[in-house]
Amino acid sequence: MRAVYLTGPTIYLRALQADDKDVAMAWHQSPFPIDATRAEQILNEVHSDPWDSREWLLAIARLADDAVVGSVRIYFWRDEASVRVHTAPWVTDADAVQAEALRLVLPWLRDERERLLIELNLPADQPATLAAAEEAGFTARARLREYFARPGHRVDLVVYQWVHPIVEAAHA
Amino acid sequence: MRNPVMIGERLYLRPLEKEDAVELARYTAEETETFFDMGRTPVSPLAWERWITKLYTHEPGSAIHFAVCRKEDDRLIGTVGISSIDWINRVAETEAWLGGAENRGKGYGPEAKHLLLEYCFERIHLHMVYSWVWEPNFRSAAAVRRQGYRDAGRVKTLGRKEGRFRDALMFDLFRDEWLAARDAWRARQEAKS
Repeated sequence: MRAVYLTGPTIYLRALQADDKDVAMAWHQSPFPIDATRAEQILNEVHSDPWDSREWLLAIARLADDAVVGSVRIYFWRDEASVRVHTAPWVTDADAVQAEALRLVLPWLRDERERLLIELNLPADQPATLAAAEEAGFTARARLREYFARPGHRVDLVVYQWVHPIVEAAHA
Repeated sequence: MRNPVMIGERLYLRPLEKEDAVELARYTAEETETFFDMGRTPVSPLAWERWITKLYTHEPGSAIHFAVCRKEDDRLIGTVGISSIDWINRVAETEAWLGGAENRGKGYGPEAKHLLLEYCFERIHLHMVYSWVWEPNFRSAAAVRRQGYRDAGRVKTLGRKEGRFRDALMFDLFRDEWLAARDAWRARQEAKS
């Protein structure tokens, strides 16, 4: 069930489905483990109504073998959207996967879904992901110091936003 | 005092109880200011009761809120709390709201906030806290700066006031910055008395 409009050079985004309960740690955006039963509950909760567009959770799948390697969670609020990207704990090129996922989802939200404001909070130590946000026209507007814990050090969180030109003009 | 968690000179913080819903609804109905982008809104006691009940269903949860009460008469005068708690990275967003115009301008706000920050940094050992302030709420921005918060940036919002979109200001705060601000606040209090 590939969506042709959300396919990149090495990955594609798709809706989650029932079988994905068996690979929950690849798409569940938490470091805490869940079993297939809990994963099934979450899938049912997230997909309880096809017309409910307050929250979407999309799988990031690899084109080469269809393996789920992460997820994109999109929260909608009024004309705004916020995006969270996650990669499976075993993925070794997380920064590259996240960057490619953002190159798919951000232009789609910006140009096709016509959101007025899109927000993205990213760790400052993922250069490819940050570059993908900036390529999509996102601007770093705030920086929270030492937000993320890393082994032996901490990393800032950067708040990126894309603002529709009509809103930007009205703000001026 | 009833079930206190943090105790200050004139105020204490305790868990919110379902019975507080009526007082919180009264404060929102009487609100004189428009602090937030949704403006003033009458909120049902039923909604407050459901919110309070949900607050304590997970331990630890992703949010912790306290009733702010006066020691002299146990009267509830507002709430302070943290939300979006990230227990792995040990960061959270702080929130504060004093209800009732009669409770403002008496120094209750800073005392309640310092009790909350003491809880954040010295009880549950957060590394950093942050806060959002809607730009038109300049008094809140001045207050968080006095509490030691540093400016972290300015983000766009779709909230409007007087016909135009307004920004939100972001702030962050480490423990040492808060300790310095609390010392300065205590010195000002002593100088006043």
